[in-house]
Amino acid sequence: MSENTIEAEIISIIADVSGFDPEEIKPESKLADDLEIDSIKAIEIVVALEKKYKISVRDDDVPKITTVHETTELVSRLLQQDNMIHVRS
Amino acid sequence: MSGADHPEYDAVIIGAGISGLVCGNYLAKAGMKVLIAEQHHKPGGYCTSFTRRGFTFDAAAHSFGGYRENGILRKVFQDFSLDKNIPITRYDPSDILLTPEYRVCLWSDPEKTIEDLREPFPKEADKYREFVAFLMNPSLNSFARIRSWTFKDLLDHYFQNEALKSMLAFPIFGNGALPPSRMSAFIGAKIFIEFLLDGGYYPDGGMHVMSNALAERFQEYGGELLLSSPVQKIIVRNGNVSGVVINNTLIASRHVISNCDARQTFLNLVGKKHLPQEFLNKLNHMIPSLSMFVLYLGMDQAFPENAGSNIWYLPQYDLENMYRSAARRSHKNISEFMMRISPNGKCILAFIHAPYRNKPFWLNNREKFIESFIIHLTHIMPDIAQHILYKEAATPHTMHRYTLNYRGAAYGWESIHSQLADVDFRRPSFLHNLSLTGHWSTQGLGIPGVAYLGYDTASTLLKRRKTLPS
Ligand SMILES: Cc1cc2nc3c(=O)[nH]c(=O)nc-3n(C[C@H](O)[C@H](O)[C@H](O)COP(=O)(O)OP(=O)(O)OC[C@H]3O[C@@H](n4cnc5c(N)ncnc54)[C@H](O)[C@@H]3O)c2cc1C
Repeated sequence: MSENTIEAEIISIIADVSGFDPEEIKPESKLADDLEIDSIKAIEIVVALEKKYKISVRDDDVPKITTVHETTELVSRLLQQDNMIHVRS
Repeated sequence: MSGADHPEYDAVIIGAGISGLVCGNYLAKAGMKVLIAEQHHKPGGYCTSFTRRGFTFDAAAHSFGGYRENGILRKVFQDFSLDKNIPITRYDPSDILLTPEYRVCLWSDPEKTIEDLREPFPKEADKYREFVAFLMNPSLNSFARIRSWTFKDLLDHYFQNEALKSMLAFPIFGNGALPPSRMSAFIGAKIFIEFLLDGGYYPDGGMHVMSNALAERFQEYGGELLLSSPVQKIIVRNGNVSGVVINNTLIASRHVISNCDARQTFLNLVGKKHLPQEFLNKLNHMIPSLSMFVLYLGMDQAFPENAGSNIWYLPQYDLENMYRSAARRSHKNISEFMMRISPNGKCILAFIHAPYRNKPFWLNNREKFIESFIIHLTHIMPDIAQHILYKEAATPHTMHRYTLNYRGAAYGWESIHSQLADVDFRRPSFLHNLSLTGHWSTQGLGIPGVAYLGYDTASTLLKRRKTLPS
């Protein structure tokens, strides 16, 4: 899956949770300041990402995602790790 | 009746609980044409009261939190200019924790609480300051980081004394129906903030004052409120929600917002055939919170001592065991409880968690519960029995009858980690134009929580409307 596809999908998830239109959500948008994501919504986003990509986000990683772009990067990285595990096993 | 192309309403809200009322006010104030349909003959859901023989009793909710500067209820009251109309009193301490060994007050000023803790718990008192500092830290992610912790993990992180941990966890058990080992840390923390650190507020006259004021304001904004009008069906075509049926009449609406029980919403009003199998399985496995048995007592004289505070009586410290025994409560195992004396000192409410059971159980046991509960109240009010003029009780079946909440659940879904923050319970991806708001949309956080959800549901809808042609 390309990072662009993932980005579009993540924007759609963030749009669902935040109520903002996908058009208004840019990679550099800040989750808290621009998209009004509070702690409950941050959790909703993480739960939705875990469900969609069958990944598990470590609690320590949650504070590190402050923009849409960082969210995409984190998901891509977790998916790659997943792939590597599948390749090896 | 107008056709589907020109729906009669922009939004129909099912249920006039606090969440539905708050949501309705925001939408109507923004100029939307909104209908709220409520099955009961008065608004408020769990936030209402009733009067018998001159005594006014809050039916369920009996105080609220989140009224600090920037608190969600402060915002709601200000946004609808209710802050000047409704006198709010804050009772301080909001909560009193009593055990056979200790008495700790939770004051509005945490420093005062710390002073109270210093003598019985010298090693822990300052830890409470750190705990409070963590909770009040508004950073976006400080909570997200503890997402998979339990409330027990969080308490263990700050405190060592088991008795104190149980005392601090007991109001969370009372307000969230879960012991610390099962309660998500996130929800437990939110309850601690909104109920205890910023709790104890009460609308003078009774909880209904708040619901009635919201209902009136909603109508002043042009909203229509139908009481005694259960919604019978939500109309769905090809995954699009287009209205509801009330009194066998179709009412077309661009959006439908359900403030009522989630199982009822999906299984009875929407109907199984519109639900994806995966979601149906999930719904069938969701666990509701426990219900409550509530005792209402009218007294022959005023009992002003500690009136307005929530008094938590904890006869022993094993909350895990308490939870297990609450789930199979009988009149013989009433032990822990919460009690509140009304501000005028004349009415007493007492609460204990209880399972739903069945009708015959409560027919046979209601009186026994009342008598046994009164005997237990003598632990903190020895001569209570001589002063009772009027007694009444609500069983879990009463809770269900008045609100249609599944199994009389006190707080919607149980706040366990695995049931947290599922967007399908707020804006189901498979049903366009349907939202859920309130304690069944996955976070059961009392009045501040459902008010927030009402606000958030409305602002999401309004944001969408700005960007979509209507
Ligand atoms: C005993 C008890 C004590 C509590 N104490 C407190 C407290 O002190 N402080 C606090 O903050 N919280 C307290 N809570 C929790 C708090 O009351 C709830 O979280 C909150 O009131 C829930 O609001 P809601 O709007 O989500 O739902 P509800 O209050 O359940 O409202 C749902 C509404 O939908 C209506 N409805 C259902 N089905 C239909 C239908 N088919 N058509 C039309 N209408 C329908 C119901 O009649 C009801 O009015 C307490 C709860 C209980 C049970």
